[in-house]
Amino acid sequence: MSFIEVEHLKYRYPHTERLALDDLSFSVEKGEFIGIIGENGAGKSTLSQAFTGLVPQFYKGAYGGRVTVDGLEAGKTPVSALCQKVGLVFQNPFNQLSGARDNVYEEVIFGMQNLGVEREEMKRRAREALELLDIWQFRDRNPFDLSGGQMQRVAIASVLVMRPEVIVLDEPTSQLDPKGSEEVFAAVDSLARSGITILMVEQKIEKLAAYCDRILLLHRGRQVAFDSPRRVLSRGDLEEMGIRPPACTRICRELGKSFPDGTWPVTEEEAAELMRDLPKPLRAGGGEKEEGVRKPSPEEALFQIRQLGFSYTEGVPVLEGLNLDLDGRPTAVIGQNGAGKTTLVKLLKGLLRPVSGTISFCGEDTSQKTVAMLAGKIGYVFQNPDDQIFKYNVLDEVMFGPLNIGMSPEKAEAEAKRALETVGLAGREGENPYDLELNERKMVAIASVLAMDTDVVILDEPTIAQDYRGRSAIAGVIRDLKSRGKLVLAILHDMDFVAECFERVIVMAHGRILADGDAGSVFSMDEVLEEARLQKPFVARLCERLGCAGSCLTAEEFLRKSGYRES
Amino acid sequence: MKSISLYVDNKTWLTGVHPFTKLLYIAAAISIPLIAGKLWAFGCCIAVSLCALAAGKILKRTVPLIAFSFTILLTIFLIHGLFHQGNTNVLFSVGPLRFYREGVLYACRIGLNILNMLLSFAILVLSTRPSELVEELEKRGFSPRFGYIINSVFQIIPQMMGTMSTITDAQRSRGMETEGSLWTRAKAFLPLISPVVMSSLINTRERAVALEVRGFGSKRKRTYLADRPAHRGDRAITICLLLLMAAVVGWRIGTCLLSK
Repeated sequence: MSFIEVEHLKYRYPHTERLALDDLSFSVEKGEFIGIIGENGAGKSTLSQAFTGLVPQFYKGAYGGRVTVDGLEAGKTPVSALCQKVGLVFQNPFNQLSGARDNVYEEVIFGMQNLGVEREEMKRRAREALELLDIWQFRDRNPFDLSGGQMQRVAIASVLVMRPEVIVLDEPTSQLDPKGSEEVFAAVDSLARSGITILMVEQKIEKLAAYCDRILLLHRGRQVAFDSPRRVLSRGDLEEMGIRPPACTRICRELGKSFPDGTWPVTEEEAAELMRDLPKPLRAGGGEKEEGVRKPSPEEALFQIRQLGFSYTEGVPVLEGLNLDLDGRPTAVIGQNGAGKTTLVKLLKGLLRPVSGTISFCGEDTSQKTVAMLAGKIGYVFQNPDDQIFKYNVLDEVMFGPLNIGMSPEKAEAEAKRALETVGLAGREGENPYDLELNERKMVAIASVLAMDTDVVILDEPTIAQDYRGRSAIAGVIRDLKSRGKLVLAILHDMDFVAECFERVIVMAHGRILADGDAGSVFSMDEVLEEARLQKPFVARLCERLGCAGSCLTAEEFLRKSGYRES
Repeated sequence: MKSISLYVDNKTWLTGVHPFTKLLYIAAAISIPLIAGKLWAFGCCIAVSLCALAAGKILKRTVPLIAFSFTILLTIFLIHGLFHQGNTNVLFSVGPLRFYREGVLYACRIGLNILNMLLSFAILVLSTRPSELVEELEKRGFSPRFGYIINSVFQIIPQMMGTMSTITDAQRSRGMETEGSLWTRAKAFLPLISPVVMSSLINTRERAVALEVRGFGSKRKRTYLADRPAHRGDRAITICLLLLMAAVVGWRIGTCLLSK
């Protein structure tokens, strides 16, 4: 018998019609690293909660079939007993912390206390986990004072210390910066090698492909495939199920470079191996790179930032001596968690006041204006949609902003409908926003700002919790705004998305701007990326392996430059 | 994050005293003057509390507490001094107002009682980490669920205040005025409060799951990170307090018997 056995698992949430899990059957061996993929609503989170017994014990509902972990039946073993076998880490680190401990160290200890682990053992495990996840230096800090990425590592540490034999992770890196998520992946991988069985739900397909032994593909609650990453990701119908294959796979598929068994490569190593003989044209393409950065002239600059300084507490500057001009090009701000990105955009929006220096918008000093006065000009979509939703139907929610800034009800409704259309929520106007999934609520939040028809739209990490379809919708929003002459300024952790959608990239670290230019030039500055703890897009890394570093950043560009696709 | 706990770790001996010793002190400081029934006993207890606070270097931080209660004390003094039902002997008069001896005495008794309670509680509240008190209670069989509720209040209220300010920012970004006339503020109420309530409901559910998977429901005996370092004063203070209380009770019973 295998370590984890799932037999004909069916589950339906209370008060719903559709089966959230529909007849899943598979088994996992001890020490395997399993990736679980699928679009939003495919049943990934539900499945991860079934491993820990929360489905059905906590959520109730209709349950059929069986999940056994090392002989224990998950549906019947009390969660408090099962949690010593199966640990669960979920998306939002904020809600995983107990909220009853004053510092990180005690927070990590909390679970062990409940289980009655001996004191010396608790100390040893806590230190080990905190060091493994590189948060030992925060042990005396209040966990709620940490950034999202740091908090998530605390959450993982506090599960790790309970020494479960299985760890289920539900999109644990969605809030982390690229280096942070790479660290989590590496840590999880080393756990897998130490014999812990890992089940990980992720949207970062490239990462899963590199680390997983097998991938489980779900679609609308059904099990579509459970096989090696290469076999699963070589399927031709992935896009229909809301999954985009890794960039390398897309490239190789177009180029017709497959392995003898008919599968496509899923990692850079594999792709590079198959393409040794290939794209010579690319090497020439490297020279096309634009020279230098086009600085906007003062006339076309929407924002002029001069010697900007800001601090939350005196003596601890968050931003220092920042100079920046922003014009109409879609601009991405990237950098580590806590680099000052959100602070910068809040200053632009007028939610914070500069401590020193000036910000002028269209030639006028913003410090003379209130947030409400700027609201009609500058739109800002917050990270968490739940911080703003309060109406009982989607249309009213989206119309709230436009009406506030003095649009007529007819115009507001027209704008709201157009905005909902752009984010792919047309026809859902009458629904209650709270009945929507988190990713859809995020779209409502974006639409509610788009409907205000502002000259500038600021997006704070819009791709979090979005699957391939959601990301494409956001890419569509950015293109649409650009074509209508609006400035899009986005804070992002998803480097591939940055490379695909943004013309200008600003790298921030420690409250300063490290680099500013087009994506191609920024992603070729190795030292800057290192200092800002960023990583290159996957295609850029593939190019490095192929010996044509810096020539292209996206799969489309790669294919175009290598002459396999017309532009 | 701003803490709502009044405790500051200033590393004085008072922070090292066991929370239970401080609880016992509160019991003693409140009961002794009441049992003794003498006005000077309040004075003694207040003096002792003040000394303890001074020794713990937190005397300054009690000033706002006293200032806050001062208005209440003043009201009591005025009402009873002027209108107490047993008033017969005029003590002094200010213009047309006549203050009576009985009423003033009565007001003094209530006032001193309040001040006494306040100061003895201040010793506990200002010099004890809330989670430490809860942990000590849990170690002696107090329900961990109640302990969790008390502890989480200190974490979650500041967190909710943080959420509140994010929500205010989010709604202001959508052109909502949050300042100005009463009507403007009233209109802003719903957009501000609904997300707070809804997101706390969502968060609470998720947090319940999180606690569950961290073994909170486990029936096993819990372990603790540290035994409290024994404080040299603890035993001595406890014995003194218990003896004092016994002595006062004895004295009171004695005087009652003698007077009969």
